[in-house]
Amino acid sequence: MGLRGSKPTFDDSSNVVYFIQIPLRGLRVPNLSPFPLKLETYLRMAKIPHESIMISTLSSKGKTPWIRHRGKDVADSQFCIEYLNKQFGVNLNEHLTKEQQAVSRAILKMVEENLYWVLVCYRWFFCDPKDLGLAQSFPWLIYAFIRRRVRGFANGQGMGRHSPEEIFQIGKLDFKALSDYLGEKKFLFGDQPSETDCSAFGMLAQFVFSNIESPHCALIKKEFPNLERYCHTMRNTFWPDWDQVLKGDASSTKL
Amino acid sequence: MRLTFGDTRLLALAAGAIAVGVVLFLNASRKQRKRKKLPYKDESDTVYVVQIPRGKKVPSPSPFPIKLETYLRIAKIPYENVFARKFSSKGKIPWIRHRGKDVPDSQFAIEYLNEQFNVDLEAHLTKEERAMSRAFLKMVEENLYWALACYRFIHDDVRKADYPSVIPTWALLLFGRRIKKYAWGQGMGRHSVEEIFHITKLDFEAISDYLGDKKFLFGDKPCVADCAVFGMLVQVVFNQTYSPHNALIKSEFPNLERFCWTMRNAFWPDWDQILAA
Repeated sequence: MGLRGSKPTFDDSSNVVYFIQIPLRGLRVPNLSPFPLKLETYLRMAKIPHESIMISTLSSKGKTPWIRHRGKDVADSQFCIEYLNKQFGVNLNEHLTKEQQAVSRAILKMVEENLYWVLVCYRWFFCDPKDLGLAQSFPWLIYAFIRRRVRGFANGQGMGRHSPEEIFQIGKLDFKALSDYLGEKKFLFGDQPSETDCSAFGMLAQFVFSNIESPHCALIKKEFPNLERYCHTMRNTFWPDWDQVLKGDASSTKL
Repeated sequence: MRLTFGDTRLLALAAGAIAVGVVLFLNASRKQRKRKKLPYKDESDTVYVVQIPRGKKVPSPSPFPIKLETYLRIAKIPYENVFARKFSSKGKIPWIRHRGKDVPDSQFAIEYLNEQFNVDLEAHLTKEERAMSRAFLKMVEENLYWALACYRFIHDDVRKADYPSVIPTWALLLFGRRIKKYAWGQGMGRHSVEEIFHITKLDFEAISDYLGDKKFLFGDKPCVADCAVFGMLVQVVFNQTYSPHNALIKSEFPNLERFCWTMRNAFWPDWDQILAA
């Protein structure tokens, strides 16, 4: 599996959004990376016609996922969402007040810039590789190479400098914030889902559905059960074909 | 005995390894000797805050010492600053020492001090407000921080920012190179200048919209998130006054500047006196 894979052919005249994600199909989640899961949940929530392509071609920023629409490549899941909002006249945050939109952004950033690194550190440094829950085997040499790079990234970002217990505590406080804010609500901001729900689901699904052996999953089940309930709500609402996707039967979705 | 090329290479490697070992040992000994010289009275309840020296425009060019010191002032915890370029066990600054215990990382330091001194700046918040407080704290420290760091160290000339004169220019430039590498790994460094400015603007907008007309983020009493937001915004509002971020705040988010003045007047009445001459 090379990281500079082949480029697929796109029909740039159609309005279909090509959604390119790295082939990290999990045994229990459609993608082991939270960002493709976030972006695809958004596409489903916004009912934007899209075709999912699983190849190892990374974006111009060296990351996954990215999109192509009418000949234009857009990298970074959040920039993709902003682009698609404009292109398709979508605003999943329309029903939120100004303060709620502010809180929505803060939660988005807490999840993607803090909790994400808790997940990364757990998966790459503390977790047994066989517990990753990957659907296909990962060549050990590539795993070791990526792990070394991730160690450097995590140290630079800061999370990698903490002890395993400290990282777990940081994750716990993030889970608590999400759980306390969600409360009894169906989605983060009430009965209607919004953009940040896509991100929160993409991240939490990794702990709740994928890394089921992790102490984080046990912690959520014991102390923050509403987060598990929330993941099931999001999954049932926007991924009724979850099991088929995992089997590879519904790998592309054309609306 | 005739040495082969392989033998020579092996000898060179061994000599290099020994040299590196000697340098590391000497450096560790020097650090050990230096730590012993710091003025700690471990039997007292004073909290020692180790941070880099004051700037001329701001108490610190880094947001984290300002966050930590503002917290100490709000919580009325007795503390003493130790101005030194001494990094914590995690390789960062600031850090604290209290009763012989070193605690690195500003947030762990605050959590430790909350326990030690029975402080809770968030006692007046509801459960949801505490959750939002954490979210804003993390947005500011894990997102806005990187956007502003990219501006200061990569997009602009770092020598324009207010740094204490004891930090030489070469050290700043070297640190800037490191920030560039870290920012790429973290993710922010992969975006263009315009994209990073856009991200910064959205963060400013979120803080501004949530703050509104309130005195502090959650009403009339400050909390830890206020300390973090203040520490970060101080860099834009009072330090890098020439930056497009400063112009953006003045034109579109004036309540953020008002917030900085409120925090400064309330908890740093000695601001002008403590700055470096």
